[in-house]
Amino acid sequence: MEFLRNFPCFSLILTMCASIVSSGMNGKWARRLNIVVIVAVGLLSSAALYLTVTTNQCYVYKMGRFPAPWGNEIRFGVLETLMALFFSIIMLLSVLGGRKHLFEELDPFKENLYYVLVNLLMSSLLALIYTNDLFTAYVFVEINTISACGLIMIRESGHTLEAATRYMIMSLIGSGLLLFGLCILYGITGHLLMSNIKEQVALLVATDQYHIPLVVAIVFIVVGLAVKSALFPFHSWLPDSYGYSTASSAAILSSLVSKGYIFLLIKVFYRVIGFEIITESKILNVLFVFGLCGMIFGSLSAIKENDIRRMIAFSSVAQIGYIYMGFGLRTEAGIIASVFHIFSHAASKSMLFISAVGLTDVSGKSKKFLDLTGAGYRNVIAGITFTVGALSMVGVPLFPGFISKILFARAGVSVPLNRMLPTLICLAVSTILNTVYFMKTVLRIYTPVKTDYINIKWKENLCCGIVCIFFIILNIALGMYSEPIVELISRGIAMFA
Amino acid sequence: MNEVMLLFIVLFPFAAGVLVSLIPFKNRKAMLIFIETAVIINSIMVWMILLNRPAGTFTMLKFSGNLSVTFHIDGLATVFAGLVSLLWPLATLYSFEYMKHENHEKIFFTFYVITYGVTLGIATSANILSMYFFYELLTLVTTPLVLHTLKREAVLAARTYLYYSIGGAAFAFIGMIFVIIYGSTSDFIYGGVMNIAPHAENTNLLLFIYVLAFMGFGVKAAVCPFCAWLPQAGVAPTPVTALLHAVAVVKSGAFAIMRLTYYSFGTDFLKGTWAQYTVMGVTIFTIVFGCSMAVKERHIKRRLAYSTISNLSYILFGVTIMTPLGLVGALTHLVCHAVMKICSFFCAGAIMYKTEKSYVYELDGLGRKMPMTFGIFTVSALALMGVPGLCGFISKFNLAKAAVESQNTFSYVGIGALLISAILTAIYMMGIVVRAYFPRQDFDQETIADAKDPNWMMLLPLGLFTVAMLALGLYPTPLLELFRNIAMGLF
Amino acid sequence: MNESVSLLAAILFPVLSGAVLLLLKKLNDRRKVLIYAGIAMGIAGVLILNALLGKEKEILLFFLTEDIPIVLKLDNMGKWFLAIMSLIWILAGIFSFPYMKHEGKERRYFGFYLITLGAMAGLGCAGNLVTMYAFFEFLTLASFPLVIHNQSREAVMAGLKYLFYSLFGAYMALFGLFFLCRYTDTISFIPGGTLNMELAKGNESVLLLAACLMIVGFSVKAGMFPLHAWLPTAHPVAPAPASALLSGVIVKAGVLAVIRVIFYEFGADFIRGTWVQYVFMTLSLITVFMGSMLAFRENGLKKRLAYSTVSQLSYILFGIALLNPVALTGSLLHVAGHAVIKCALFLCAGAVIFQTGITTVDGLKGIGKKMPVTIWCFTIVSLGLIGIPPTGGFISKWYLAVGALESGIKGFQYAGPIVLLVSALLTAGYLLPVTIKGFFPGTDFDYGETKKCEAGAAMTIPIVILAALSVLIGMFPNTFIEFISAFTAGLM
Repeated sequence: MEFLRNFPCFSLILTMCASIVSSGMNGKWARRLNIVVIVAVGLLSSAALYLTVTTNQCYVYKMGRFPAPWGNEIRFGVLETLMALFFSIIMLLSVLGGRKHLFEELDPFKENLYYVLVNLLMSSLLALIYTNDLFTAYVFVEINTISACGLIMIRESGHTLEAATRYMIMSLIGSGLLLFGLCILYGITGHLLMSNIKEQVALLVATDQYHIPLVVAIVFIVVGLAVKSALFPFHSWLPDSYGYSTASSAAILSSLVSKGYIFLLIKVFYRVIGFEIITESKILNVLFVFGLCGMIFGSLSAIKENDIRRMIAFSSVAQIGYIYMGFGLRTEAGIIASVFHIFSHAASKSMLFISAVGLTDVSGKSKKFLDLTGAGYRNVIAGITFTVGALSMVGVPLFPGFISKILFARAGVSVPLNRMLPTLICLAVSTILNTVYFMKTVLRIYTPVKTDYINIKWKENLCCGIVCIFFIILNIALGMYSEPIVELISRGIAMFA
Repeated sequence: MNEVMLLFIVLFPFAAGVLVSLIPFKNRKAMLIFIETAVIINSIMVWMILLNRPAGTFTMLKFSGNLSVTFHIDGLATVFAGLVSLLWPLATLYSFEYMKHENHEKIFFTFYVITYGVTLGIATSANILSMYFFYELLTLVTTPLVLHTLKREAVLAARTYLYYSIGGAAFAFIGMIFVIIYGSTSDFIYGGVMNIAPHAENTNLLLFIYVLAFMGFGVKAAVCPFCAWLPQAGVAPTPVTALLHAVAVVKSGAFAIMRLTYYSFGTDFLKGTWAQYTVMGVTIFTIVFGCSMAVKERHIKRRLAYSTISNLSYILFGVTIMTPLGLVGALTHLVCHAVMKICSFFCAGAIMYKTEKSYVYELDGLGRKMPMTFGIFTVSALALMGVPGLCGFISKFNLAKAAVESQNTFSYVGIGALLISAILTAIYMMGIVVRAYFPRQDFDQETIADAKDPNWMMLLPLGLFTVAMLALGLYPTPLLELFRNIAMGLF
Repeated sequence: MNESVSLLAAILFPVLSGAVLLLLKKLNDRRKVLIYAGIAMGIAGVLILNALLGKEKEILLFFLTEDIPIVLKLDNMGKWFLAIMSLIWILAGIFSFPYMKHEGKERRYFGFYLITLGAMAGLGCAGNLVTMYAFFEFLTLASFPLVIHNQSREAVMAGLKYLFYSLFGAYMALFGLFFLCRYTDTISFIPGGTLNMELAKGNESVLLLAACLMIVGFSVKAGMFPLHAWLPTAHPVAPAPASALLSGVIVKAGVLAVIRVIFYEFGADFIRGTWVQYVFMTLSLITVFMGSMLAFRENGLKKRLAYSTVSQLSYILFGIALLNPVALTGSLLHVAGHAVIKCALFLCAGAVIFQTGITTVDGLKGIGKKMPVTIWCFTIVSLGLIGIPPTGGFISKWYLAVGALESGIKGFQYAGPIVLLVSALLTAGYLLPVTIKGFFPGTDFDYGETKKCEAGAAMTIPIVILAALSVLIGMFPNTFIEFISAFTAGLM
């Protein structure tokens, strides 16, 4: 049993080694290795989850046996392991789902490079999840940025290059802000390990010292991470990079990369600053307002969009708005809702990206709405998958979107009126807007049209089809049996404190 | 009777619907027999359950915490489930003949049968979350039916339908959350479940939420200004328009509002507040608006759809009186309107099916050629107008009685609206009847020489509905007794 | 015969026989239709006579809902109306046999004609408000096909106008009915009213509104301003016997309903002295004057008669509005007088149209030479309508004027009689020219071309009978007055 506590560390090392090893392999072997690694990470994480759930405590794992403050620590509880498990599932499905496209869109010599980046990304995500050290977190944020950038750029076209550049610039601004914040925090507390910082911060607040630097640090960190996770006014990089990159990349980027930063932000809230202090500062109000704006304006942009991939990308802006709105509620229930929404959005959005590709494939590779007419009949499984994803996004019962909506609304009802009403009204309005663009698309793909597109053969697209089915199962499971997951999340959050 | 049976009546149509699309039937007839058998079996099951009501509840699904999809049968559920289970087999029979000239029947019947289950799900929901669950599901399973012809206008109609319905549900959702949080339980209990006392300072907020939720569920019940989807959805095949858009779907909206008002928020809390006046004002406006639009409309089905809008607000008006008698009136009209409107829609469908005429001004002289159809249509028109002896009068009388009894000046206005609507109803319905029976002098009978009554599959439901209209109009006492018991919270 | 059976038979037999006539497609031969209709009318007449002679008894048929019983009761008020209605109905029916030849579609006509009698019988026998309301609507619907009989565009539009005005009135009345159900002890008709004063206390204003709406609503059928417009449109387009029935009888249904509402439900005391009474009186007086003026200006013969109906009906309504026994007696007498006279006038007009095709007053020059009997009858009944003794009209107007003077209501006490007098003058002005033109066509009229073309016996006899009746009422009013005042006394 005790052996299980090493697993998170193993999975980190495993992914990093895999990325190094696969740089020397050819595409085929790199692909196989990648799948094995992700599956292994999933198994390791679930074992760790089992450990934490059964013992109901969190573990601190010292890297290299150096004690704090010199050493580097990994800390994992229920939430972290759950997150790691979930990320690996989504990662696996996304990579497999877009496999066909990788062959088509990538230079064959670069295929192994792609898996290098994926492994690297996975390791950085795991590190963001597990680390107990702010500087390590920063390092992996950068690694994450670089690998994500690579994933966007690897499909070499004008659009992706531009998108990657934009992404790079915005991301680096975000990392820069984060670094500033960390430096200030280090300056005033003298620590880098999260638990130590938290003690110091509590002390500072109690003695009312360094008030302004503390606030500035918080602002920098929060804004930095918000920029990186594409919160509303900072989302300009997002549609292009999700819209033009290869399918797997889009799915991974939308459902995992931004979520990694958000998870880090939650950790900062709970583990670094302390939730009470954060809620007292005004920064959450700003996040609340931006979140609400994101929900509305993201959807409005999506409605105007004429390209299915970009539409889904804009929808992500809206969904990230939900998550930040949950933070802005300033209650534990709000955070739980946000975390659940990380799951549900990750599951649904990656599914949407993968199925959207399935639909565009049978429409002459066109992403325009008009060309998608009737695509649901030409590629049945992708059509159904897209419909399920759309329903989930709209928040229809049985699907995870509904559960997160309920959680958000319940959290929203218990806060004072000046937050409650905006939350509820925005939830409702955003549901309507989501309906408008998603249902429009669903109806579009089921409107018959006389064309000479070739219907896709089931066998040709076996992998994608199976992935789609798994996605559907995952979503429905998340939607119908959400209770244990919500339970785990709240336990995990309790362990943070 | 075992509680598990509650699950059966909801899931059996699902299974049957899926089987319809999966089984490779030898010929059309085999498929039709299969469908009709399935529907009848389910209806029998429903009635067996209603007659030996299980006292307990059955939980199908647990979401999180105390949120679950649970079935239970109480008085209100009995009425709705009973109504639906009586109408469905007849409507199915009718649609067999009607759908002959439409394509891809399999898909149609799949969803048609599934919708039966979903509607029963709404009827038998034990708490507000379950109702919401089936309510959303209803939107989804009926969309393919609206979409059926796949023509451009059908797609547009389906789109509008989805936007309105899901949008409405989004607001209803807020109301649901409030009931869950502020209520002592989210189950439906006659008299309401809201814990008002600890939230006294939030009274206005709760009232606002009630209005919001009322309008949200009201979208399905087509209250103004959210009624535009209903006439548009008339592009669907007539069995759909008749059964769903005159009975199942719109009545689900009305039913949900009854649950919301009498079983969740509670009339004690709402009565006499601005919220009551607001929603009552909306319904009164809709009553008159729907009728006026119906008078203006030339397309038969759209005219009937506008008529539905107006009549649904009769029901809602009854609900917003917020007295037990109001509920009695609302329930009476719920049942009576279902019979009347499905009948008039089916007649319109028969006319369109047999003559391919769909505008009022094309109906000259058809009364002679299709005596049964138009005879029945006339009866339903008279019933809708509220001629004594037919069921429309009974429901109108009960609604007005409740309004008078409530001694609320605003509801007197509602009575006025009912009567204005009655005269408008006379105008738009008798306009059709008169034209059909008394064509202009110079009308050439040759142009409609080959029009004739449809076959028994269409006429049988029509005949039964006519009998029902007469029976309800002449001897409604047992039914009213049942409603009164429900409204007293006894049943 | 048992009373319940006799009442039911009087109502159901005409309805059923009419329905059978409508449904029997085999009866397409004109002769067969006429024989069938004749027999049915005879039996219906006997059945109604039987009902009229029976004792007054309340019969509970069944409960529509537990607070709406369907009750039949033929009291004296009902008998009075029913007797007049069925008499006119039979005479106009006899007239229709030859007349309908040139309109065609006899089967439909007689079918609905029979059903209309059933509805009227039901109206007379109705024992409570809902029952009456039901038959009121039924009457509207049954008489509708009579109006649009010839199916010209004009007729259909007029018919729809009739239908919608009547229904609108009925629904206005329904508003009041809903309130009455709540605030009365019973909705059965009980002389003196059934309003429960304890319940009504505090709700007077809404009840008065309800009363006003009921009165105005039911008066739509009686053509009271401002909802009179259907009457001059609908009456002229119908076949002449149908117009006779409409103008003579069906409009009286409105009168009966108003009487029932005021004297048998609200009670005269509740209305007396309130704004409702003033509104009612004002409207009826306006209508009296306006109807006469419009008739005076009108050239079409049947339309002129229709406007005359508007005016005369409001005499009756004014009498009711005064709320005193004398005026009410006058009203009820005028119900009979007007029914007989107006029926005769329309039948005359019908006979003229049937024989010569003339429809305007100007075209009637010299008609007296061609159809002397008809025009003589026309003249006699015209005098009756104007109110010249010894005809029926004189007695009723006398009672109306006396009632107005006795009522002591400021303003109306004198305004009423004056308006009645002016209107009587106008009546003379619009009816007598027909006679004058008919008999004295002027010096330049060429007598050479005229030849006698009197209508057949089946058309002339009803006219003569009606004319004779109008005189008889005037000469021997006492029997009627005694009968009427016997039961009007108990009303106030």
